[in-house]
Amino acid sequence: MTHSRSPLAKIGKGLQILLLLAYAVFALFPLLWMFIMSIKPDSQMLTTTFIFTPTLENYATVLHSDYMQFFFNNLIVSVAAVLVSLVVGVPAAYALARFQFKGKEDIAFTILSFRFAPEILVILPLYLIYQRLGLYDTYFGLIWVYQLITLPLLIWILRGFFEDISPDIEAAAQLDGYAWWQVFLRVLLPLVKPGLVAAGLLCFIFAWNSFTFPLLLSNNVQTSTVIALRYLASDTVHYGQVAAAAAISALPEVILALLIQKHLVRGLSFGAVKG
Amino acid sequence: MFWGREPALSITEVWNAPMSTTLSSPRTPPSELPRGGSASKDSIAHARRRRFRPYLVLAPALILTIGIFIPFIAAICLSFTDYSLNSSDVSFIGFDNYLSMLQSSDFWHSLWITIEYAFLCTAVEMLLGVGVALLLNDENIVARFLRIVLIFPLMIAPVIGTLIWKLITNPSVGILVGPMRMIGLGDFKWAASPDSAMFSLVVVDAWVYTPFVIILVLAGLRSLPKSPYEAALIDGGSPWFVFKNLTLPMLAPVLLITLVFRLMLSLQEFSIIFALTEGGPGDATMSLSLQAYNRAFPFYGLAEAIPMMLFLWALVYFVSFILIGFWRRAQQRAAGVA
Amino acid sequence: MASIQLSGLTKFYGKRRGVEDVSLEVGDQEFLTVFGPAGAGKTTTLNLIAGIVTPDRGSIRIGDKTVDALEPADRNVAMVFESYALYPQFTVYQNMAFPLRSPKHRLPAGEVEQRVRHFATMLRIDHLLDRQIQALSNGQRQRTALGRALVRRPDVFLMDEPLSHLDAKLRHSMRAELKEMRGQLGTTTIYVTHDYLEAMSLGDRVAVINQGRILQVGTPEEVYFRPATVEVAQLFGDPEINLIEAKIRSRQSTSVRVQALGEDWSFPITPEIGSALDKLPGDNVQLGFRPADVTVGVNGNASLHGVVYSFEPLGTKSVLTIDSVAGQRVRALVDGHRTFQVDRRIEFSVPSASLIFFNPESTRYLVRSTRTEGDH
Repeated sequence: MTHSRSPLAKIGKGLQILLLLAYAVFALFPLLWMFIMSIKPDSQMLTTTFIFTPTLENYATVLHSDYMQFFFNNLIVSVAAVLVSLVVGVPAAYALARFQFKGKEDIAFTILSFRFAPEILVILPLYLIYQRLGLYDTYFGLIWVYQLITLPLLIWILRGFFEDISPDIEAAAQLDGYAWWQVFLRVLLPLVKPGLVAAGLLCFIFAWNSFTFPLLLSNNVQTSTVIALRYLASDTVHYGQVAAAAAISALPEVILALLIQKHLVRGLSFGAVKG
Repeated sequence: MFWGREPALSITEVWNAPMSTTLSSPRTPPSELPRGGSASKDSIAHARRRRFRPYLVLAPALILTIGIFIPFIAAICLSFTDYSLNSSDVSFIGFDNYLSMLQSSDFWHSLWITIEYAFLCTAVEMLLGVGVALLLNDENIVARFLRIVLIFPLMIAPVIGTLIWKLITNPSVGILVGPMRMIGLGDFKWAASPDSAMFSLVVVDAWVYTPFVIILVLAGLRSLPKSPYEAALIDGGSPWFVFKNLTLPMLAPVLLITLVFRLMLSLQEFSIIFALTEGGPGDATMSLSLQAYNRAFPFYGLAEAIPMMLFLWALVYFVSFILIGFWRRAQQRAAGVA
Repeated sequence: MASIQLSGLTKFYGKRRGVEDVSLEVGDQEFLTVFGPAGAGKTTTLNLIAGIVTPDRGSIRIGDKTVDALEPADRNVAMVFESYALYPQFTVYQNMAFPLRSPKHRLPAGEVEQRVRHFATMLRIDHLLDRQIQALSNGQRQRTALGRALVRRPDVFLMDEPLSHLDAKLRHSMRAELKEMRGQLGTTTIYVTHDYLEAMSLGDRVAVINQGRILQVGTPEEVYFRPATVEVAQLFGDPEINLIEAKIRSRQSTSVRVQALGEDWSFPITPEIGSALDKLPGDNVQLGFRPADVTVGVNGNASLHGVVYSFEPLGTKSVLTIDSVAGQRVRALVDGHRTFQVDRRIEFSVPSASLIFFNPESTRYLVRSTRTEGDH
């Protein structure tokens, strides 16, 4: 879009860039600072700001501690949650996109509304239920509750992708001699693959970042997100290690975020905005 | 010649032939045709099978959905009891929990904090987000670079983000200590003081969630149709006029949906507040979610906590309902403009 | 190879009528065109035959089997979609090979290759076999879609407006090619179009459909010269047929006097026309005549008067629109060498030898006047 008509045109290119840089500093500096702290030795933590001798010992300490166990817990639970959501959500997204049946939009909206329910509201009864059912502090329990986060997101994103495929293609494949489920597997799934990847990665990120659920519904089977915070609360000396732990926890999603650049808009808005 | 085609009959034969009927030109006598209007038994069964397919496919998701309803129902039931985590007897106490909630000043205080927090965060993020999105809708170097990396604050766990901000504002090792002293705010206590705790929270929340607004608004800006702007160019009109009468109405649906998302989520935000202040100092930032958590876990009053959360949910639902109504109307209007 | 029988097919989409009580018979190896405006129910009909949608009522037979309970995969029907519906992730070769590799057919690789190449060569896309679909032009995509349908040698071909997205020149050449292919393949075909020229030139018979109902089925000549209703008459022909209300003033055995277009005039009739007119409930009748049959003259033969409303030269022919005395507009197709000035008085006559008579209340065809052979 040509920007001579932008309302900001009056403030001049130079000022625009300056403002952008200001926001860039605001957005990125904290991350940079976290990284800096993570490679600063404890001895120089209180005395220097930017000039110091970088070291990897913070990382070494964290990597050799039991923190990594929590890192892998997070990995296991998040990946498993996404897989479950894929198996359940892909057919559901297809059904919502294609079939016409009573109560379709109601069901769709109900699934979406889970996103907006207060976490604590769900957790309070779940705490009891989980204790009774022995799901408290288990991988299975977390994977199950993570569905609250991952399933609505996945269904809504994929629904949009399925809707984008012309129904004629399915009809053509049926006429070519394939049963409806074969059409689904051999024709449709390859076509929504980019959507699957994007939705899957985005769901993974949200599952990975989940804090409230593992905090309250789990104890020893804990995720790195929760543990990182505990470090800060309990340890007021080894800031470098805390920063390192945070950095390690944030690393996977930074990488993944770069991968899903293209589908971000659709994913974040639950398909309400077509990027 | 008839369009280059030899007619099968001579013209006169055609003119004089008996007229074709309006239905079929039967080559079999009507009695042998299957009766129209009836369907064979097989086809009825087949049609029924086809009609049930969507439900079959949806079944797993529906089962999960029902599974999710169970906690909600349980919550509602529990709210009518005096269930507590440290006592073994439970009795039905009717609406007592609700009444005491409405009478407790803590509840109203938390309600105010929740609304204040949600309002401040949403306002800051929307204004900042739209401004930055407008700035980013450009092809200079900074914009192109920023478009790619601005997603990072959003992707990092909000808790981790809060953690980082705690480190930044830490009095002993935080990087902001020096600069704050330079502008005369050397005593600024950030999250440690009741007066500045809310401010600190909003800063953290804005840091995490402004990218969300930016990304959506930017996508909206880029998908705006060009022709109304070309027409405006010909008709004349200041940039501000164009912005107010063309851009804003067409952008309204995206703005509203972003507003809905941010408002809904910030009303029930828990992680950031918990990580930064735990509701304190004192109860300076004790939103409803935090209050409910405190009642239930450290203090074991599970059943007491639920009515607050139900209230919150009802609030969220109500507000989203109204806003989604605005959103739908804005979409229709935008379609009319473009 | 098979005949097709549709009986009483009805399909509603909620309140909207897709098709209602459609009955049709297509003979073995017959090429039937289904013609109607947009939304008439043409695609619905095809989808019902293919099995993509199930009818609310009615039944379908292909050959000697009732196919109502059969999935599309089992009906041995091939369809060329208006949108082509090619598989975007495959090449041309893979698109054409896809049906042959399905569980229904499961041909050995050698035979698949043979068939695909045979039809690709016939359709002149054999040099494109390794290309992705996105890289093809519209015409090439259309041929690929055609090829995908042909490789299967089905019992029935269904074609949904296959030429509508091609530019005019391509459409012409494809039409000719289709006619030739038809001769070679000899498969029962139902061809849907909203272009009446295609309907007329390609079909052995034409089925006219509008608003979900079949209006008429017949040969192109029957539909054009003896349309079953006013509606059918209006759908064929460009410029559109002229339709006027006429009040019969008096009638003899060989001529009739009418008041129409604001004037009194008479024209000769045959006894057959006379007896048909007897069946009219009143003395009103609706007359139809094609613009090409109107004579516009200054040589005294003309019997009606009017003023030129518009004149459009189109090359070999020109379209002249005349405001009659009563105000009703009459369209005439005149030779391209003649010129006319707008707002000038003009005289014209309605051809007595190519009049179509309609019952004004039921809008149904009554009778038509005949002409001697060798004309037109």
